[in-house]
Amino acid sequence: MTTRPDDEAERLSAFVDGELDLQTHLAIEREAAADQNLRERIDELRRLRQSIREGATYHAAPAELQARLARLATDPSVESAAAARATAPSKAARPPIGRAAAEAAARWLAWRPLAASFALAGLVLVTANVVWLHEVRDERLADDVVASHVRASLGQHVVDVASSDHHTVKPWLSARLDFSPPVAELSLPGSTFLGARVDYLDGRPVAALVYRQGQHLVTSFVWPASADDSDPAFARERGFETAHWVRGGMNHWVVSDLNPNEFRIVVDAIRQQEAAR
Amino acid sequence: MTDEANRRRFEALALPHADAAYNLAKWLVRNDHDAQDAVQDAFVRALRYIDTFRGDNARAWLLQVVRNSCFTWLKENRPAGQTSLDADAAALEMPGPAADEPPAIAARKDDRARIDAAIAALPFAFREVLVLRELEDLPYRDIAHIAEIPIGTVMSRLARARALLRDALAPGARPVLREVPRPTVNGRA
Repeated sequence: MTTRPDDEAERLSAFVDGELDLQTHLAIEREAAADQNLRERIDELRRLRQSIREGATYHAAPAELQARLARLATDPSVESAAAARATAPSKAARPPIGRAAAEAAARWLAWRPLAASFALAGLVLVTANVVWLHEVRDERLADDVVASHVRASLGQHVVDVASSDHHTVKPWLSARLDFSPPVAELSLPGSTFLGARVDYLDGRPVAALVYRQGQHLVTSFVWPASADDSDPAFARERGFETAHWVRGGMNHWVVSDLNPNEFRIVVDAIRQQEAAR
Repeated sequence: MTDEANRRRFEALALPHADAAYNLAKWLVRNDHDAQDAVQDAFVRALRYIDTFRGDNARAWLLQVVRNSCFTWLKENRPAGQTSLDADAAALEMPGPAADEPPAIAARKDDRARIDAAIAALPFAFREVLVLRELEDLPYRDIAHIAEIPIGTVMSRLARARALLRDALAPGARPVLREVPRPTVNGRA
């Protein structure tokens, strides 16, 4: 992996937090022993961390709030009062639906010829935007997918449930997610199923299945999709191979640092296993 | 329709984390009254959904609810321009040093005010990971869960937050308090 200045800062920041895997942690310690400059950067980070921990105000809950919260557990009426207060303003702000519809209809009749052309222009714009936004979103997602794969392989969090048995992994995931992802070992030479973790992509919890193919990690992210089925789209992102497809109502993103040919073989194997069940 | 068992679970699982909940809310919405409301809303929701909580980390689960309730609150109560949550009013709440304090205590208070103001001035996305890490001492995994972002993003946001704080707190740095823009006129300070 190439080291950008940002990557280096992230590495050191995670080092100071003790959040790197043992191997990377020791490597940085060795580097620091030989590098005065690196030592100073680490010390500076540690000092900053300490002064924040000691200096920043910790806001403990005021007694009054503590009492209000404790009352929630004993007095049902408190709950409804708070809930009412929480929802009331938004209801009050909305105009009556009937009136709004009548007004809209009146406006429509008055402006029909102009409105038609506006509507057409609007439709074109919206369509263009949807296509464009979709692409931007996919790009950002690809970035997140790669980042998640990279950090997981760098840190201690490759898998939360380490098992090569899908009968163990699938129920573990189902218990932690609001869907049940397809889980399969790959029938490829040199392939090991390491297990799975729950990760976050696209603002929701997703299943991450992790395989080792030779020396390389492969992460396969799965979560429910609203889009129609699509064929795999392959791309390259920061030196990693990615593939994305939708099938059976599930989004699939696969990422690895394998070479493109091997990557395609692995993706095919994942798709076959999935189709087989 | 909360039954007795749920109330007992709520008492055992959620109430012990009231301090953590309020600390997070106060740092996110930056105003005592609104933080209290956000926490209460979060606990009402926690009570309602406590039977869906499975797992062993009640604190992270609860803080996620608190975080979402703060996030919703900020979206509804700040004009769109301010929802990107850059530096704004909270730093103005910091108490100034009283005139008759011994110099050592005054200096320490001054440090505290500087650090608090620097954290308060961080954009929302950086502030939340920093508070969860440094004040709640949570591992990256829990922070990722609470903020609903990949662990890699936790790592990069923390590094960025620290770089911003380092610059803000460096000796001779422009005083953070003076960079704060005036609150807008629509009643929210």
